[in-house]
Amino acid sequence: MEGTASLIWIVLFLPLIGSLVQALFGGSVVAKMGAAKGKRVMGTLAVLPIAVAFAIGAFLTLQLSQQEVGARSHVVTLFDWINIASLRVPFELVVDPLSMTMVLIITGIGALIHLYATGYMADDQEYPRFFTYLNLFVASMLILVLGNNLGLMFIGWEGVGLCSYLLIGFWYRDIENAKAANKAFIVNRIGDWGLTLGMFLLFAVIVANVDKMQLPEGETRWLSYDVILPNIVRIIEAQPAIATAIALLFFVGACGKSAQFPLYFWLPDAMAGPTPVSALIHAATMVTSGIVILNRMHVIFEVSEVASAVVAMVGAFTALFAAVIAFGQTDIKKVLAYSTVSQLGFMFIGCGVGGYWTGMFHVTTHAFFKALLFLGSGAVIYAMAHNQDMRNYGNLRKYLPITFATMFIGFIAIAGLAVPPGFGFAGFYSKEAILGYALANEHASIGVLNLGYYAGVLGLLVAGLTACYMTRMTWLTFFGKEERWRAIPAVEHGHHDDHHVAHAHHAHDHGPDTHGFFYTDEELAAQPHEHEHHHELDETHTPKEVPPSMWIPLAVLAVPSAIGGFLLYRNHAFEKWLQPEPLPVLGEMSGHPEHLNLLMLSIAAAFSGLIVGLLVYRKGLPKSEGWEMGKWATWRKLAANQFGYDRFLVRSSTEGGGEVANMVWKYIDVGIIDKIVNGVGVAVSKVGMLFGAFQTGYVRSYALMMLFGVTGFLGYIVYTMIRVGGGQ
Amino acid sequence: MGLLSLTVFLPVIGAALLAFLPDSNLKAIRYGALGTAVATFLASLFVYAKFDSNTYHFQMVEHIPWIERLGISYKMGVDGISIWLLVLTTFLTVISLWFSFYVDKRVKPYMIAMLILETAMLGVFTSLDMILFYTFFEASLVPMWLLISIWGGERRTYAGLKFFIYTFAGSIFMLLGMITMAYLNSKATGNWSFDIIEVQANVANGSLWQAGMHLQAWLFWAFSVAFLVKCPAFPFHTWLPDAHVEAPTAGSVILAGVLLKMGTYGFLRFVLPFFPDVLPQMVPYIMGLAVVGILYGAIVAAVQPDVKKLVAYSSVAHMGFVLLGIFSLSYTGLLGGAMQQLNHGISTGALFLLIGLIYERRHTRMFSDYGGIKAQMPIYAAIFLIVMLSSVGLPGTNGFIGEFMAMIGAFEASYNGMFGLNVAYAVLAGIGVILAAVYLLWMFQKMFYGPNNNPENQRLKDIKPWEIAMCAPLVILIFWGGFYPNTFLKPMEKSIAATRMMALNPVGQRPNWKDAQLEIGDNGNLVRNTGDQRGQETVAPANLHFTPAYAAEVATRMKVAPAIALPEETP
Repeated sequence: MEGTASLIWIVLFLPLIGSLVQALFGGSVVAKMGAAKGKRVMGTLAVLPIAVAFAIGAFLTLQLSQQEVGARSHVVTLFDWINIASLRVPFELVVDPLSMTMVLIITGIGALIHLYATGYMADDQEYPRFFTYLNLFVASMLILVLGNNLGLMFIGWEGVGLCSYLLIGFWYRDIENAKAANKAFIVNRIGDWGLTLGMFLLFAVIVANVDKMQLPEGETRWLSYDVILPNIVRIIEAQPAIATAIALLFFVGACGKSAQFPLYFWLPDAMAGPTPVSALIHAATMVTSGIVILNRMHVIFEVSEVASAVVAMVGAFTALFAAVIAFGQTDIKKVLAYSTVSQLGFMFIGCGVGGYWTGMFHVTTHAFFKALLFLGSGAVIYAMAHNQDMRNYGNLRKYLPITFATMFIGFIAIAGLAVPPGFGFAGFYSKEAILGYALANEHASIGVLNLGYYAGVLGLLVAGLTACYMTRMTWLTFFGKEERWRAIPAVEHGHHDDHHVAHAHHAHDHGPDTHGFFYTDEELAAQPHEHEHHHELDETHTPKEVPPSMWIPLAVLAVPSAIGGFLLYRNHAFEKWLQPEPLPVLGEMSGHPEHLNLLMLSIAAAFSGLIVGLLVYRKGLPKSEGWEMGKWATWRKLAANQFGYDRFLVRSSTEGGGEVANMVWKYIDVGIIDKIVNGVGVAVSKVGMLFGAFQTGYVRSYALMMLFGVTGFLGYIVYTMIRVGGGQ
Repeated sequence: MGLLSLTVFLPVIGAALLAFLPDSNLKAIRYGALGTAVATFLASLFVYAKFDSNTYHFQMVEHIPWIERLGISYKMGVDGISIWLLVLTTFLTVISLWFSFYVDKRVKPYMIAMLILETAMLGVFTSLDMILFYTFFEASLVPMWLLISIWGGERRTYAGLKFFIYTFAGSIFMLLGMITMAYLNSKATGNWSFDIIEVQANVANGSLWQAGMHLQAWLFWAFSVAFLVKCPAFPFHTWLPDAHVEAPTAGSVILAGVLLKMGTYGFLRFVLPFFPDVLPQMVPYIMGLAVVGILYGAIVAAVQPDVKKLVAYSSVAHMGFVLLGIFSLSYTGLLGGAMQQLNHGISTGALFLLIGLIYERRHTRMFSDYGGIKAQMPIYAAIFLIVMLSSVGLPGTNGFIGEFMAMIGAFEASYNGMFGLNVAYAVLAGIGVILAAVYLLWMFQKMFYGPNNNPENQRLKDIKPWEIAMCAPLVILIFWGGFYPNTFLKPMEKSIAATRMMALNPVGQRPNWKDAQLEIGDNGNLVRNTGDQRGQETVAPANLHFTPAYAAEVATRMKVAPAIALPEETP
């Protein structure tokens, strides 16, 4: 297996090379072969590496699954990244069930989304740039999950953040997109602050307790999982406060990347990126990094009940908070964004209460159905001339049958609808598993307060809300008789802006020395102007089903969204794969609460959500959500604006922070320090003027005089000091 | 003349030859200057090729007695701390002079000033005699002052003068400190000496401070103030924004890339080895200044309307990380600080270069004049993005390695309560990392994103092939440092380890540069080659990591210190 395991390098390097190919040759290929053909070539070159990587990943996973339970972890090392006497951080990858699960999700769903994007982005002028970033994202995400040490993981962690930043701001001509990109990066950096401090604390604890660890001679890989994880329990069990500190710091990082309260507020804005990006990065993969890292480091969370309780409670609160906000959204992608935040909350409930594999299970099923829903919403947006407002939709199932059918499967999967003996689509099983662990265990508790249990109860409530807001979204988009875009003038919600260069005629007098810095009028006129064809949504618009490159991924994703949960849940397949042995600290855990028929409760929750949703929206768009607000409007607006949370944070940090920074600069730098400096200068020259003979009028001679003066004065001080010292 | 002296004085020789060229022959002057810089760069690569990474001792030492009665000599050498700074200097000078093809006002004196500046900088990093060091240290001021005040912007006179007086005033303290050190050496041994090796050897065996322990704290500050001004650390930084904004592009590149490193280099070369007894008490102050600098620089950078000023303030923050790493006195942190020096030289140098490129076209540095130029200049934007991210400290770029290691070191020291530090230092410094993203991303957004509404910018062409070629080595170094930092770390390790022991160990266990039998072993221990079949004996353990036990030991020693009663020879 060791030899086979090194195939993992190919998995990692394929997308990386793909990204380089796009970056270096994409532009010229598209220019030489013509837009249509060139884009087809580059599109194929973008999908291929990911698809091949998936094939190799699947092969490796198969090999891995045939090995003994205890021998399913292989570390392959390429070279030393940092190697100093006090710390060695090799470029090493780990092949084990956790990493391979993520590899399959990333490359599998990644390949489908790349395929989809070749259709979705076909009209874009900067096609190769898009795939440069998207391939680079896949490579970074693979490093994140495959890296066998925290340093390497952090390369991936920041790498995906960077790609997210670049892709959110992909349509950079709209300054709002650029701002959303900055927001995503900066809020994530706040999380990284916690993550790095957690890393440092872990490092400091490890190196201070080397004597308590069982290690081979000369081992200095202090950040590697296979050094930390087997030893850390022994060290921190005696100091639970440290375990709590490390765990909470890591969780701060997870909150940033996985969009949990209080750091969730970048994710909805991130929808400014193209929809394939939202599906891949902001739903299926990157935002689950937090759960992956918690699964990786779960022994630390096992030791700390307090940290676990915080994780579960934050997860539950976020799930509830985001679900409520989702009701207030009119933008179809925003609904899905908040739903993602909410579902991520579920995953954290699972990780908090000790059901680590259930968190990963939900990551997996969520990747199926949320990618499906996002791609489906992209198809709708594509068909509706890039209008994202659900108030302009209605009755689309008539025009987009494939999109509708697949999205409906996704809807059942996320809503957790199931038939009583216990058969449902993907989301049902994973949600069920999480709530089961939450309601049956007492790990996540502070004192006697079993917060994990309350998190489970909240989760059950949110499951009902989820079914309800998803019914709202699905109904408003696909059902009803009204085709609302015909009745009401569409609100401009496109992202495309004008690409043409304004021909402002004014005198350009750059003189002869401009060395060809600027285009002349002739050169400017000779440039090809690829005006984007892009019509507005109006009453005559007839939506058309999307091209095959876009609906094939939808159809493929619909399959695991439907049956994936059942297959993975049956015979504890996923549990045995990810967590074959009892947990090292918590031991065997039960996933079934004793005095509670959870199965029936959650089915009831899902159906009541569905029924309430149907009752409200059956007759079409309620007044309170239309263009004229009705009696519920205040409440809806409140939810739409995230109860003012985002606005408060953004304003206080940008405006308030800017104000403070300006004051610091103006008062301290210019006002105090420079005043003193200039004052000293003036004072010295004044003293100099007393000796009129030296007064030459040149400021430089004052400077010189000042230097002589200072030297003499200090020389005298030193002289006295030495004399005093010498006299001792 | 040895290879080292040749490298140092090659630029001056070139400058002298340039002086004979007619003023009007711009091409010959430009290529002559660039050729000299390239030759110097190659010479420094030879120095690097000859350099042995397995010892902490000075190499390629050249020694010519000068004023023997006062113990002043011409003495040069390189060790792991200076080797990369040498190469960085020659490398950045090549880039700067290449860019300086844009200079068309008084070209000859400009090129001569740049070359003299290069010699001065190289001299600083190679001098092993304090007076020689001081001479080069001050000599570097004059050409830079001229560059600012003649080829600078509108407020060049004020900025040049401020730069000159600020740094000169700071280094006056250092000169006095040096004289005092030489005097103390005479009290200890009977001979005046400005020889760094000699003085440090007497510090290491304790005899020097025995002659004047009460002066140690004073002298610590005398040296430190000079270097704090140079770094620059808060609150001695206000010369930097003015100097940067007014300096011509090449001047800014050199200023940020090399001149600031003289400050941190000074800490490594003088402060750590010379003042070990008071160092533990002083660490919290310098660390405090470093943390304040990190936060303050970042906060002020965030509201600058001028792109050059923003980068100037970001330097204050970045150099704070260097200080943070160095004064953590942890192995990882010290190496990280030393690494961060190089990284800052490359990435901030590159930022100033890129700003210079756009300035040549648009003659403005104000954010309000830009916006959306990514559409017009995609290649320029891509290079700018990479350099910006390196400055942000993104993993995979060189900027990350130094910052990360410095932070690990600071955390390790503060977590274990070394020198009375607490974790607040590391936690606050971490906030600086967030803020770096805030102002740098804001900078990028202001310049490149959004609609391109300014008609002046709509006609911009992308940068030219030779300009891309000029930026390429910097971009390569950014990734090289990010993915294979060992190239840069390995040669520094032994010297950093030795310097750390000079600063941390008690008398008798301190390394010195005089005793050739002392060496740092592969496991980091200080060992002595015994010359018989025993081979090596351990003089001092490595203590690569701080532990609570070690912190307690240092604390006890601090209480007992100043410990002067000591054996002359270690057994």
